[in-house]
Amino acid sequence: MKFKDFIKEKLIGIFLVIFALATIEIFLMAYPYGNFIKIYIPLTILVVYFIGLMIEYTSKKNFYANLSNTLNNLDEKYLVTEIINTPNFIEGKILKSSLEQIDKSMLEHVNKYKYLQEDYKEYIELWIHEIKIPIAASKMVIENNKNEATKSIDEELNKVEDYIEQALFYARSNTVEKDYYIKASNLKDIINESIKKNKSILIQNKMLINLHDLDRIVHTDSKWIIFILNQIIQNSVKYRKQDNNSGIEIYSKQGKENVILYIKDNGIGIKKGEITRAFEKGFTGTNGRLQNKKSTGIGLYLCKKLCDKLGIAIELSSIQNEGTELRLVFPKNSYINLK
Amino acid sequence: MHKILIVEDDEKLRDELEKFLNNNGYKAESIKKFDNTIHDILKINPDLILLDINLPGADGEFICKEIRKQSNMAIIMVTSRDNELDELISLNYGADHYITKPFNIQILLAKINSLLRRANMSIENSNRIDAKDFTLDMSKNTMEKNNKSIELTKNEFRILKYFVENREKIVSREDIIECLWDSESFIDDNTLTVNITRLRNKLEELGLKELLQTKRGQGYILLKKG
Repeated sequence: MKFKDFIKEKLIGIFLVIFALATIEIFLMAYPYGNFIKIYIPLTILVVYFIGLMIEYTSKKNFYANLSNTLNNLDEKYLVTEIINTPNFIEGKILKSSLEQIDKSMLEHVNKYKYLQEDYKEYIELWIHEIKIPIAASKMVIENNKNEATKSIDEELNKVEDYIEQALFYARSNTVEKDYYIKASNLKDIINESIKKNKSILIQNKMLINLHDLDRIVHTDSKWIIFILNQIIQNSVKYRKQDNNSGIEIYSKQGKENVILYIKDNGIGIKKGEITRAFEKGFTGTNGRLQNKKSTGIGLYLCKKLCDKLGIAIELSSIQNEGTELRLVFPKNSYINLK
Repeated sequence: MHKILIVEDDEKLRDELEKFLNNNGYKAESIKKFDNTIHDILKINPDLILLDINLPGADGEFICKEIRKQSNMAIIMVTSRDNELDELISLNYGADHYITKPFNIQILLAKINSLLRRANMSIENSNRIDAKDFTLDMSKNTMEKNNKSIELTKNEFRILKYFVENREKIVSREDIIECLWDSESFIDDNTLTVNITRLRNKLEELGLKELLQTKRGQGYILLKKG
């Protein structure tokens, strides 16, 4: 709040005072008072009036400067009413109590949706536990009745499983609460697990697997990482070149403050202009529009979201027609950096 | 024959699992009423139990804890709860493995095999597999015949073991690759060809060359000599 702006607002009042003083002056001129009186009366009124204005200005300025400062420094701006002092002028008091009421009703509103979302997430988790049982049963039936037809059904069931898992993690990625459990895990075990999980599509598509330098400990939730790796591996298979040299190389490097996991393929790569958008929700790009790719634009988006939650950085670089490299950067003490 | 008890409330899954285990050389039984599960398990006293967590009555984690107090039987938790915390709780209560539904049945079978083998190490010498024409020694990764022993690499050994387990059945190249991948050896097609050739040469050294035959377009078959 600048002094100039304050005065501008008070302009009408000031003009009225000056007008009143002018009338008083004309009135005084009609009488034979001494010059002292003629100057003293209007001057006193003016000085007192301006002192009043100054007092009003300082108290308002203090309050509003404090308000906007606090607002700028706050991440969660709606908490501002909890921090600022109650002002000593009436408009300020009204403003503060209005803000408090608005905050309260907004919070109630937000809580309602938070609860609804939490409730929905719980239902999804429950549903996913339930649906896994008939899938497991179907897989057992297939195992006991192996033939070409059941083998084909089995492959489809694997896809169903992948979609279900994606739904589970999508639900988890949207909640504020911590669903993960951080413990020390060996990268090698995590990678082996995810390769095994995807073995049927990898073998079918004759993908070469090259794993090295993976014997390192990271602090994370391995189940989440396996899900993230699944998305990446499935992308590598989906966007491979149609030759017989397709493959994935996975290795890790020890940094000073982190462990970096590299997942590199020699697939069709991503167009230069589209790399930055690869993590956007629903972004399918040129590759996604190729035939039979069935790109949903969910996989990498979800990876990024889950990585953010786990405090892991995910980076992507790619050269068109040469391949794509994804890097997961695990901070050394990821439990400190958790959100 | 080892006795395996299935503690699972989904009827179909239970029956199919029972059938599968019975077909794979185990004596499988299952619990169908869950009002006194712990008592029933201890009464049947199997070598190994496959234990679900979400059960009517007492839940699997509690059952696992109670059974561990009284018995040393192998326990594999089989559950649809797929998170680290449940896994840790189960392992802390004394479960030997934790497998999530839907499970890869071959991996489950491998875990059952290894648990039971470990439990019975002192009783049986199950490190050796008698394949009639030759013997496999799992502790030394060797193939033996008439006191002649040939060392195999890890992958060759796994391939040969897979052939023995599927004797006189055609196995496809994909089946073999999958089996190797299950034991975390992620080989490709070319490596498999090399391994098969070397395995053939080693079989030839024992005079068993004709045992491993190629079925064009389908895969391989390990025959029985006599």
